[in-house]
Parts: sequence; structure tokens; C-alpha cells
Amino acid sequence: MPYPTHPVPAPDEYAALRARLGSSRVGVIGLGGLGSNVAWMLARAGVGTLVLADHDVVDASNLERQFYFADQVGREKTAALTDNLRRITAEIRLECFQAHIDQSNISRIFEGVDVLVEAVDSARDKAMIVAAASEQLPGVPIVAASGIAGYGSPNDIITRHLMGDVWMVGDLVSEVSAEHPLFASRVAIAAGHQAHMTVRLLLGYPQA
Amino acid sequence: MQIELALFAHLTPYLPPAGADDAPGSSHARPMDLPDGTTVGQVIARLDLPAGPRIVFVNGRHAPDNHSLANGDRLAIFPPVAGG
Repeated sequence: MPYPTHPVPAPDEYAALRARLGSSRVGVIGLGGLGSNVAWMLARAGVGTLVLADHDVVDASNLERQFYFADQVGREKTAALTDNLRRITAEIRLECFQAHIDQSNISRIFEGVDVLVEAVDSARDKAMIVAAASEQLPGVPIVAASGIAGYGSPNDIITRHLMGDVWMVGDLVSEVSAEHPLFASRVAIAAGHQAHMTVRLLLGYPQA
Repeated sequence: MQIELALFAHLTPYLPPAGADDAPGSSHARPMDLPDGTTVGQVIARLDLPAGPRIVFVNGRHAPDNHSLANGDRLAIFPPVAGG
């Protein structure tokens, strides 16, 4: 049986852990298959404040893996996700930015977050966001993802400490394409890894 | 000067061959001898890495292609792939 990587908390300690999460602030860049699912997991985990950014609107094709509903097609993702998260918990604080994130706005929008989740689609944007965050938000842990497409093994999706303040989730190689589309189940596994690594970082356990 | 070079995912095959005297180490990292003042971009050109987006860190922080490397630096290059 595998050893737990930290002691199992007693009930009163669990309350202290929830309180620690409740005072935390997490940024999520990209509210698609990864980001929308990371957001609800962090909301249910008790993270107090989410800073959410996406430039897109809900498309009918998003419903097969993203945390939106059919009657939200055409709405801005930030607005639709706000409604959905508030149905889980009215207490959560949400700061929403309907914007494309790049070097020009990342520090203004995400200054002061405890963890930053990279959840965008394109490889170019992933590289740009990690570089910009490293330069402009030094010391902020970044939980990114790469290699989540296709129907490969669920067990190939892992979390690793990549370099510096960057943790990377995925199998590192499964790029989305016509032959390797995104499946709700595998994307959700990756989102679960990102959300849980975020929780661990917030609780002071940086080991992947 | 000597740096440590780490290449990830589909870049790993571009690692230079290990020297006979190199200590056995990580499968994705290797020591690399370079002329003083070599830049990140020159290392990428010398390795003939395939085109495409890259996350490039030196000693745990992002470094642009014109960053001059110093003895003992750790250069790490990761190629993200699309999907989110």
C-alpha cells in the first residue's frame, strides 16, 4: 500500500486546512476543458477567491467536456462560469476578466495570487504565459498542462515539478489534433491533477 | 564553460551524447561544454531543435534567446503541445 505523502489530518485539523484554502486566491487563465473544470474543483475544495480570465464565449461544441450548459451557448465564459460556480457556493469571491491574457496584462490581473493555473489551448499561448508569469510574477507557482488529448492511458497523465516555479500536468506529448481529439474523461483527469496540485501548493506541500 | 542542459518530452532525443567520463544522471539532462558567453539562442541553433513554441528557463527563471549563459547554469527547454 502506498504511503501517504503527509499525515492524515484529524477532524479539527481538517477545519484548519479548509480555513487556509478559504483565505487563498488562485488565478485561472483559460476557462475551457481544463480551466472550467479546475474552477469548480477549487470552488468545492473551499478556495476563497478565484481570478478567472478568458476571451471566449460558450460554443455548443464545448458542452462535451467543459463546465457549461446548453442554455449558456453564446454567453461569455466568465459570466456563465460565474453563474455555475455560485450555484455551488454563494460565498466564493470571483474576479472575472473577459480578456486574452498576455505580457501586457498578466501582472495587473494576477498580481497577488497564491497559485496561477495555465489552462489555455494553444502551445504558443502556453509558452507565452509561463514565460510572462516567470518574469512578472516571480515566486508565484504556476500549474500548467501539456499532453492531455486522445484516448491514451489515464495513467500517463501525471503531475511533475518541471522547473523553477512550474509544475506540469499531462503526458507531455499528446497534442490535440483531428486524430487525437479531446475527451471529457481524459481532460477531466488532467484538470483534477491541476486542481489537486494547486490545493497541495496552497497547503504547503510542493512535492508532486 | 560547462552548463547543464535539460530537454523534455519530444526534445529529449536532441540531447548531445553523454561523454565517457560523465557521471550517470538523469535521462533528460546532460552536462554540455560551450564557449564562454554562448547565448540560449545559440545553444538552440547548435542542437538544431525543431521549430515550435518552447518554455526556456535558466536556473529556474524564464530566459530569452539573447540571454548569455554562464558557467554552471542550468538550461531547461520544454516544448508545450496544444490542448486545453
